[in-house]
Amino acid sequence: MKALPSSSSKGPVKFRMPTRENLVPIRLDIELEEQRYKDAFTWNPTDPDSEITIFAKRTVKDLKLPPPFIMHIVQSIQTQLAEFRSYEGQDMLYTGDKIVPIKLDLRVNNTLIKDQFLWDMNNFDSDPEDFAKTFCDDLGIQDPEVGPAVAFAIREQLYETAVQSVAAAREIRMSKKGRRGAEYVPASKAGGTSLDLMKLFNNKYSVVRKRKDWDVYGPMVDLLSNEEVDALEAREERNARSMI
Amino acid sequence: MSKIMEPTAHSDPNLNPIRPNEPELDLYTIPSYSSWFSWHDIHETERVALREFFDGSSITRTPKIYKEYRDFIINKYREDPSRRLTFTEIRKSLVGDVSLLNKVFLFLNNWGLINFSCEKNEEIGLGSGNVDVRVEDGAPNGVRIVEMPDKLKPISVGSVQSSAEGSGGGGSGSGLKLPPLASYSDVFGELVGKKKEVVCGNCGGSCDSGQYEYSKGDYLICQKCFNDGSYGENKSKDDFKLKDSASNAAVWTEEETLRLLESVSRHGNDWDLVAQNVKTKTKLDCISKLIELPFGDLLLSSTYGKGNSSGQIGSTNNSIQVPAAPSEHQDDTKHEDQLHEQMNANEEKGDVMDDGPLLKRRRITSVSDAGGSLMKQVALISTMVGPDITAAAAEAAVAALCDETACPREIFDGEEDFPSNGFSSPSFHSKSKRVDEVDASEVKQTPTQSGTEEASAWQNDIPLSLRLRAAVATTLGAAAAHAKLLADQEDREVENLMATIVETQLKKLHHKIKHFDDLELIMEKEYAEFDELTESLTEERIDVLQRAIRAGISKSRDHAPIKFHMSNVV
Repeated sequence: MKALPSSSSKGPVKFRMPTRENLVPIRLDIELEEQRYKDAFTWNPTDPDSEITIFAKRTVKDLKLPPPFIMHIVQSIQTQLAEFRSYEGQDMLYTGDKIVPIKLDLRVNNTLIKDQFLWDMNNFDSDPEDFAKTFCDDLGIQDPEVGPAVAFAIREQLYETAVQSVAAAREIRMSKKGRRGAEYVPASKAGGTSLDLMKLFNNKYSVVRKRKDWDVYGPMVDLLSNEEVDALEAREERNARSMI
Repeated sequence: MSKIMEPTAHSDPNLNPIRPNEPELDLYTIPSYSSWFSWHDIHETERVALREFFDGSSITRTPKIYKEYRDFIINKYREDPSRRLTFTEIRKSLVGDVSLLNKVFLFLNNWGLINFSCEKNEEIGLGSGNVDVRVEDGAPNGVRIVEMPDKLKPISVGSVQSSAEGSGGGGSGSGLKLPPLASYSDVFGELVGKKKEVVCGNCGGSCDSGQYEYSKGDYLICQKCFNDGSYGENKSKDDFKLKDSASNAAVWTEEETLRLLESVSRHGNDWDLVAQNVKTKTKLDCISKLIELPFGDLLLSSTYGKGNSSGQIGSTNNSIQVPAAPSEHQDDTKHEDQLHEQMNANEEKGDVMDDGPLLKRRRITSVSDAGGSLMKQVALISTMVGPDITAAAAEAAVAALCDETACPREIFDGEEDFPSNGFSSPSFHSKSKRVDEVDASEVKQTPTQSGTEEASAWQNDIPLSLRLRAAVATTLGAAAAHAKLLADQEDREVENLMATIVETQLKKLHHKIKHFDDLELIMEKEYAEFDELTESLTEERIDVLQRAIRAGISKSRDHAPIKFHMSNVV
C-alpha cells in the first residue's frame, strides 16, 4: 500500500479512485410507475458484470419493487461503471501534493451534517469508510445510515476531482504537443479546486489552524425532528419540480 | 504552536514512563511500552510507523510537520487528561490531509500517548456509576409536611402537659400508641372510610362483620348475604371464600414499621423501593401505614385529645375505624375509656337506662379533660386571627360536621335537641375568644357537676362530643387562616426584597453608564490630542522635505535623515 504514493512521485498515475480501495460511487434514482427508488452505494469496478444483474434482482426482490426496475437498475449501474472505466488507463495530473477540500452538507434521515476538511488526492492509503466510522463514533451518531452516507459523499467528491484531474492532464498533453513547452498550466488552476497546503499553513508556518477557522473545519451535526424532516423534504420536492 | 508547546517542552528526555513536565511539574502517565517518547526527538518507532513523513516525498510531509502534529495532539489531550480526545476534535484545528492526520492520531492512541489515563478513568467511572444509580432527593414529601405543625410547638406544648397529666394514669409511652390524628380523620375521613369500608356487591351495605370474596373476579358479598344464600347472578356458593377482614387490614409489627420509616427516609416517594425494603408488605400497605403513622413525639402528644375525640367520633359513627382504634391504645387508661365509650355508644343504641354510673362518670371525665385542653387550644389559636376569621372557620366546620353527623342524628332518634344543641353551641362559642374561654371553663366544670347530676351530665355528653369536634375543626380553620396571613406577610417581604434588588441593580447600571461616559470624554480628548500631534508631525515633515529640496540634497539620500527625524519625534 505504501509503495503507491512513493512510486507515484516519480511519474504520472493512472486513473483510479484516490483511496485504498478502488470503489466507485454509484447513485441510483429511478422513477417507474409512480414508484421512486433512490439509493447510493459503492461498486468494485473489477467485479464481473454478471454481478450487477444478480444485485439488481436481489434488490428488487428485497424491496418488493415491480420487476421492470431490474432492467433500469442494471442499466444505470452499467452506465456509471462504463463512465468510470472510460477514464481508466489515462494519466492523472500529478504535481506533488494535491489537497482538496471536501465539503459535506447532507441529510440522512433525521441527521443533518455539515463539515469541511482537507483530503490528499495523492494519498492512496486513505479510507473514506474508516473516516466516516470514526466520524460517527466521535460524534456519537446512532443512525447506522449516516456512516455509509458520509463515506459515499466523500467518494463522490473524490471521484469528481479525479475526473477533473484526468481532463487537466489531457489538456496539458495537448498543449505540449501543440507548442512544445510553451505553456505550463499550474496545478491549482488545472485541478480546479486543489489547494496549496503550504499556503494554508498560517503565517508562522504552523500546522495549527487559526482559531477562528476551527468551527469552519469542524463538524456540525444537527438532529431534526420528524416535522422538520417533512418540511425539508417537501421543499426539496418543490425545488426539484421547479428545476424541471 | 510554539505558545502551546512552551510549558511542556522542557521535560526530561530520559526513558522514564512517568514524565515530569518541568515548568508545571504535572505528572502524566504514559504506558511503559511508550517510554521511547520524547518531546525533543522523533524516535525510530515513529519513523517506521509513519514513513510518509520521513521519505521526503513532499514538502508538506516533513519530520517537522509530523512533530508539530504530534505535539499538538498530545498537548490537546493533556489539557484535560480525564476526557477522551477524539479525532474529530483535533482535525478541525490542524491543517492537513485528514487521512494522514487520522494515521498520526491512531498511532499516538495505540501507543497510549493520548487517551491512556482516560481509559482507566472511564472504566472506574462506569463501575461506580452502576452502583450509584439510585437518586436520593432528601426527605420524602410525607415527612416534610409534618414539619409544618412543629411551628405550632409553643402552642401545643402546654396542652401536651395538661392532657398527659389530665389523663392520670396515661404514661408518656401511651402517647405513642394513639389513633390517627384528628385532622387526618376530619380531612380524609371520607376517603379513608371509603377505602376501608368494603361494600357488599349484593346488598350494597357495608360488610364490617366479614366478607366473602368471589374467587372468579373482583366481587365481594357480606356475611349476611352469604348466609341468606343471595350470591348474586351466576355465582354459586363454592366460588366464595371467607375473607378475614382483620387479615385484610395488615397488621404491622414494630420491626416492620421501623423498616418502613427507614426506607421512606431513604427512598422518599419511590414506593416500589420502599415496599421492596419492607419486604413483608405491599406498596399500598406501606402507603396507608405511613399515612396512619403519627410523626414526632410532640405532634403526637399535642393531638392526644384530638385523637381521643376522633375515637369518639368513630364510636358514635359506629364505623369501621372503631376496632382499629383500641388496638393502638394498648394497655393504658385511655384504652379503658375508649372501651367505655364504645360500650356507651352501643348502649345508647339499645337500652340507655341500664348505664352504670361509674362508667358514665369516667367517660365524661375523660372527654372533658380532652375538651379542656382542646378548648384552650382553640382559644389560643383563635386569638391569633381575628374573631371574624374564627367565626368563618367555625361556620365552615359546622357545615362540614352537619354532613357527617347525619348518622349520629339517626342514632339519637328522639333526642334531636342534643345534636342541635351541639351545633349551635360550638358555632357560638368560637365566635370570639372570650366566649370560647367561658365555654371552656364551663366544660371544665362539667366533671364536678357530673358527679352529682348524673342524668344531666349524660344528656350533655352527646353535644359535648360534637362540640369537641366542631372545636377541633374550628381550630384547624383558624390555624389555616393564620398560616395564610403568615404566608401573605412572607410574600410581601419577598416582594420588598425583590424591589430592593432591582433598585440596587439599576443603581449599579447607572454608575456604570456614568463611568463609560467619563471614559468616552477622556477618549475624545486623547483623540483630539492625537489629531493635533499628527498634524504637527505632518507639518514638520513637509518642512523638512522642503528644506531638503531647497538645500538640494539628492533624492536617494533624503530618506535616512527623515527616518532619523521621525524616530526622534516619536
